[in-house]
Amino acid sequence: MRTVSRRRFLQATASTGAALAAAALLRDVAFLQTIPEIANPLTFYPNRGWEKVYRDLYRTDEQFAFLCAPNDTHNCLLNAHVRNGVVTRIEPSYLYGSAIDVDGRQASHRWDPRACSKGLSLVRRFYGDRRVPGAMIRRGYLTWAQRGFPRDAATGAPPAEHFQRGKDEWVKVPWDEAFRIVSAALVNTATTYSGPTGQQRLTRQGYDEAMVQTQAGIGTQVLKFRGGMPFLGATRIFGLYRFANSLALLDAKLRGVQPDQAVGGRMWDSYTWHTDLPPGDPMVTGQQTVDFELFTVEHAKLVTLWGMNWIATKMPDGHWLTEARLRGTRIIAISAEYQATANKADEVIILRPGTDAALAFGVAKVIIDEKLYDEQFVTRFTDLPLLVRMDTLKKLQAKDVVPGYRPAALTNFARVLPPGQAGRPVPQQDGLEIPEAMRESWGDYVVWDSRSNGPRPVSRDQVGTYFDSTGITPALEGTWSVRLVDGTTVQVRTIFSLQVEYLQTYDAATVSGLTWVPQDGIRQLARQIAANKGGTLLVRGVGPNHFFNADNKDRAIFLVAALTRNIGHHGGTIGAYAGNYRISIFNGLPQYIAEDPFNLTTDPNQPARTRSYVRAESAHYFNYGDRPLRVGNKNFTGKTHMPTPTKFMWFANSNSLLGNIKGFYDVMHNTLPKVETIVVNEWWWTLSCEYADVVFGVDSWAEHKHPDMAGSVTNPFVTVYPRSPLKRIFDTVADIETFAGVAKALAAEAGDRRIADVWQFVDQGRTDVYLQRICDASTTLRGYRFLEMETKAKRGEPVLALFRTYPKVIGWEQTQESRPWYTRTGRLEFYRDEDEFIEYGENLSIYREPVDGTPYEGNVIVANRPHPALRPTQPAAYGLGADDLSTETRQVRNVVMSWAQLETTRAARAKDGLTHVFITPKYRHGAHTTPTDVDTTAVLFGPFGDMYRRDKRMPWVNEAYADINPSDAKALGVQDGDYIWIDADPADRPYRGWKPDDPDYKVSRLMCRARYYTGIPRGVLRMWFNMYQASHGTVAAHESRADGLAKSKGSNYQSSFRYGGHQSATRAWLRPTLLTDSMFRKNNIGQTMGSGFESDVYCANGAPKESFVRITRAESGGTAEIPVWRPVALGLRPTAENEAMKQYLAGTYVRTE
Amino acid sequence: MVKVFNWQINREMEYPYAHTPPAKQFAAVFDINKCIACQTCTMACKNAWTAGRGQEYMLFNNVETKPYGFYPMGWDVNILRLLGPQTWRGPTYTGKTIFEAAPADRAAVGYIPENEDWANPNIGEDEALGTIDGGAYFTLPHPVWSFYLQRVCNHCTYPGCLAACPRKAIYKRPEDGIVLVDQERCRGYRECTRSCPFKKVMYNQVTRVAEKCLACYPRIEQGLQPYCTVTCIGRIRVNGWIHDPKQVDPESPVDFMVHVRKVALPLYPQFGLGVNIYYVPPIHVPPRYLTQMFGPGVERAIDTYRRAKDDPELLGALLLMGATPRWIEKFRVRDGIAMGYDARGAEIVRVPLTEPLHIRPAFDAARAVYRQNIT
Repeated sequence: MRTVSRRRFLQATASTGAALAAAALLRDVAFLQTIPEIANPLTFYPNRGWEKVYRDLYRTDEQFAFLCAPNDTHNCLLNAHVRNGVVTRIEPSYLYGSAIDVDGRQASHRWDPRACSKGLSLVRRFYGDRRVPGAMIRRGYLTWAQRGFPRDAATGAPPAEHFQRGKDEWVKVPWDEAFRIVSAALVNTATTYSGPTGQQRLTRQGYDEAMVQTQAGIGTQVLKFRGGMPFLGATRIFGLYRFANSLALLDAKLRGVQPDQAVGGRMWDSYTWHTDLPPGDPMVTGQQTVDFELFTVEHAKLVTLWGMNWIATKMPDGHWLTEARLRGTRIIAISAEYQATANKADEVIILRPGTDAALAFGVAKVIIDEKLYDEQFVTRFTDLPLLVRMDTLKKLQAKDVVPGYRPAALTNFARVLPPGQAGRPVPQQDGLEIPEAMRESWGDYVVWDSRSNGPRPVSRDQVGTYFDSTGITPALEGTWSVRLVDGTTVQVRTIFSLQVEYLQTYDAATVSGLTWVPQDGIRQLARQIAANKGGTLLVRGVGPNHFFNADNKDRAIFLVAALTRNIGHHGGTIGAYAGNYRISIFNGLPQYIAEDPFNLTTDPNQPARTRSYVRAESAHYFNYGDRPLRVGNKNFTGKTHMPTPTKFMWFANSNSLLGNIKGFYDVMHNTLPKVETIVVNEWWWTLSCEYADVVFGVDSWAEHKHPDMAGSVTNPFVTVYPRSPLKRIFDTVADIETFAGVAKALAAEAGDRRIADVWQFVDQGRTDVYLQRICDASTTLRGYRFLEMETKAKRGEPVLALFRTYPKVIGWEQTQESRPWYTRTGRLEFYRDEDEFIEYGENLSIYREPVDGTPYEGNVIVANRPHPALRPTQPAAYGLGADDLSTETRQVRNVVMSWAQLETTRAARAKDGLTHVFITPKYRHGAHTTPTDVDTTAVLFGPFGDMYRRDKRMPWVNEAYADINPSDAKALGVQDGDYIWIDADPADRPYRGWKPDDPDYKVSRLMCRARYYTGIPRGVLRMWFNMYQASHGTVAAHESRADGLAKSKGSNYQSSFRYGGHQSATRAWLRPTLLTDSMFRKNNIGQTMGSGFESDVYCANGAPKESFVRITRAESGGTAEIPVWRPVALGLRPTAENEAMKQYLAGTYVRTE
Repeated sequence: MVKVFNWQINREMEYPYAHTPPAKQFAAVFDINKCIACQTCTMACKNAWTAGRGQEYMLFNNVETKPYGFYPMGWDVNILRLLGPQTWRGPTYTGKTIFEAAPADRAAVGYIPENEDWANPNIGEDEALGTIDGGAYFTLPHPVWSFYLQRVCNHCTYPGCLAACPRKAIYKRPEDGIVLVDQERCRGYRECTRSCPFKKVMYNQVTRVAEKCLACYPRIEQGLQPYCTVTCIGRIRVNGWIHDPKQVDPESPVDFMVHVRKVALPLYPQFGLGVNIYYVPPIHVPPRYLTQMFGPGVERAIDTYRRAKDDPELLGALLLMGATPRWIEKFRVRDGIAMGYDARGAEIVRVPLTEPLHIRPAFDAARAVYRQNIT
């Protein structure tokens, strides 16, 4: 392949205009020619030779396929077309329809084409001015490292002078030097915080005592690692986990311990970090997430979209929805505004943001009152018939009522393991593997048998057809007295009757008042879902999921699904959609991420020996200020969840962890100063890079020299990243080479060559060995040869993942084959009897107001009358004042109110002029969390695009904007196109401790344009998530450059905001129900269960859409020439239409007779 | 001026040149109901053809949200205002075309957009007509609505640009009816920009000539569909040859949808251009605005589209959109499968009307592995 330097390429394309090329050819001759005789250009044209210009422009030399895989879940294999060694165009491969599985089953060309605008615009990103050019180190950090990491004698803290992040310059260093510095930092950090001295330093630095205890003087436990959405790169992103595991070797050296005492690094979560997990799913099912591949819609009769903007966020699968509609499927869109998917819907429901659980309860009540529920499904698959003791509020145990009760043997997709017996490898798991002690701790449960009129035990085996064979006819409703084996009598009630009693609050009038949905809408929704049992897809989106009450929302919608048998059928089931999370699809991953570094397998044809030395925590604690949830007199963070102090962090492929962190400006101002080393792997300079210490410039998707693979949650394909023939454009290395490089330096520094040997196949160019091991050990990949998968990928063809069904539907085996769910009862659980849930008032499925994004008092539990099972602990017991409505306190308040009472309350900060619920959903112009990167996509993002930036206030060719109801805007004196300030609760936003004259405040306060948007209700403000936020560098540039461009000097980082960003109005939130040690759930990978913390399954989940804000006019949208934003002056805008526009909108330019 | 027959307005009309139909006429059908406004088409076109100097603002293909979106600013409000209110009597347009309404010294009524009119290319994105002030519940047709309108050059039978060029530097290719601006002979007078009501001929201030959508003719010449069609992940577009209503080929997907089912309609037929991009109108939008845009066939088209579930042939034609990058000459639907054929009658692609379901055995004995949905 010929190569062309970047400079020559840019020079050549400067005159790419076809006309210029043609004119150059015939410059002298053309002007002398007379006009030829052209009688009729409709018929004949004499001068067509010029047409070769476009044919020449179109021609390319060769093509190669690459995988585009940001976190959107689609993973598109694309063809890059190359001219003179430069990728000039990108096209879809059109080979998804050719994908086959190991048995020759094929997909169809209904799948093609797969691509999107962002993928096609990569031509400008591969060569863009924000490519990280190599190994970059912040000068202040470099100085600190070169001085040998000096520290304060008493606290161990580094001198602040080296940590002017965001205000420093960047130095490009040779790769070996960069690796040595990071390696030295790892050793220095781990040593500093080792042993009792290390713990003492942490205590002096002010960390929470529980965190210091959890760190336990193990130096490697202050080192944090995150591969961002690692499912996107089984080896190159997951490599950070393999690296963290290998740090057990370092720990063994530092603390002089044996391997079985060694501890590796600390891992951060991904799915839960993004708040993509629907946190109620593990509560109801024990399983991480219940969803289905999006083309399941082919088989549905009705689709209800609860806050899921399908056509904007799942674009390559948008056609499945519209094509299903063609065939008669009915679409109901439920959202906070009239958005893109609404215009594809047969019915539209607009509701108040964050109230979806209340709507679901309203729907459930209609279904129950009108007796539309499927009693068979409910009694056989859910815990609703189980009995609850009204004294303890715990589920009645079989051993409580049957003298000498022995727990039942379990054989229905179950394997009870006696002590000491190991489980099977994942591909051979033919059932849930339950250690005997765990099984004993669960016990068995009890229903009331109508036939024998007495309590009867039920085991977790006995679901579906296995329950039928018991002959029990369980009562769904009722209250009885039961004599316990100890002689006492207790009152028991079914969970169903307790839940129905709670649902009395949710009559149509209450629900309508609370959610804003007209009563008729509630009834129609309920009746249509009930009329399509087993044929309705209940699709939950990230809109409602990003609220604090997300688990309530899941439990409530699951109730509707269970009542109408819409779980586990190809035409009717429940789903949740966000990012690409399901690493367990590659359930052989432990072969790579947990290979035992003390016991490496060097034979490429043998599987690895695995042992995990890492510990994990949720990054939400880091977000929260690197502290646990401790409010009043109580620590709400379970032991299994407790974080350790963060002194070193290394992440790849993830601007979300820092640059787009919730409350970014608070983290930057208050939390980052205590983090001593931040290492980021990126190929495109992001806001995370602006505030990092070391940025490793890695290969873009077009330049991979090591193969890798990614899977998807929304489609059935497995896509390989094939090795690329394109020469590297910059001095970059592969992600996996950064781990290997640091490991080499670390091996030398620590004196243990095994640390480097962990990466031996990388050095040999045989990364495929790791990938084949993963394939062989995965239930979805076993049978594939990885190198054959790569050969197909090189032409743009994926393979099919080997699930049980095509499409994959989570819950199919449970409903169709009566397999138990991953709960103690084996059933879908609507009642949680863990102590914490009872304490927090969450034993039943209830509704809570949003914690911040509400005009009312936040986080209130709504119940119109006292309920015998609702006994939550009140604030006073936690040492909190009754009137303390601060953000921290609200997280743990369990105050119960009726709707009538709630309606009279106001948000804590309403008196400071806060008026609007502020939501920040994801949009079509970015891919999931990736902000819009290049000018050609940016100029189309919203209404303010201008390639020529005629208004020099614009930070870039586009700019951030918020959508506001025109009536609200006018009441605030804001004109369409004006600049506004958006301010959330001043107690902690944009950052704790802000002052108006603090230079950081100017960088952090959110300013954007206002856009009149008639499709959004009053009291709601919407801004899209996918824009790069302001940094110190961009604000300095915006204010000092003559052209006003908000482009950070040195790094070229480009902001779409003049000041602040959407994260100026958000913050970390920690929900107590997600932090218990007692809840049982399936472990992430494989057929095993555990209790308490499990990364990406059960842990803190955040709440990015919780924000209540004040809007203030900042500047006019007009310029010196025109006093208002130009389209307003032209009379083309809503509420400002001129006569012609009004006629046009009314359609009266045409009359039909 | 001569008289030509324009079937889209069901009458003769005036045009500067006599009509000789090209051997084939490039055309397309866009199904508005399936468009997701992802702008992938826009990006594909821009990368291929308008990534050079002077072309920064140009979008030969654009997608705008109706009714508050325009590119350039207010283009259709402007031309409708210039033409004034007009009338259809049944299928016949009794009002004036842009040629018939032309001022004495011009080929057509029109205007040249201001430079600033090309900014804000996605103004009105996702904005609706009608107001949501609080909660709401509604069904079809939506009282609050928006839809997406995808626009390329219409490669008109009677182009406004061609009529207006004083140098006759714009022509229609006789083999496929694609309209092009001769990049050598254009002198940048901009009469084409003035006279195209759709504003799809654009002026390059650096090279000083007009440029326009070229129907990706280098691809057409290789039997491929244009970039905007083959990158459309909403699967809303199909290209084909359109025939005169008296010579309909029902096996051509475009002829079938335009002439047989009449489910795809021309854009602003009243302008009199004989446009060759046809749209399936959005079923959720009230008909009055749509009739102003697509003519009197709107309600029948919506009704036909809504009955597609009982019309396998129509379903097949619509589901072949996006199935292949190759030009489909003919199509057929049999036993739940839609097939597309090339000019020689060879099958180039097939798609099922419903994607089949597969259930794999729980245990794959050959490979000793239990297949699971929950892994």
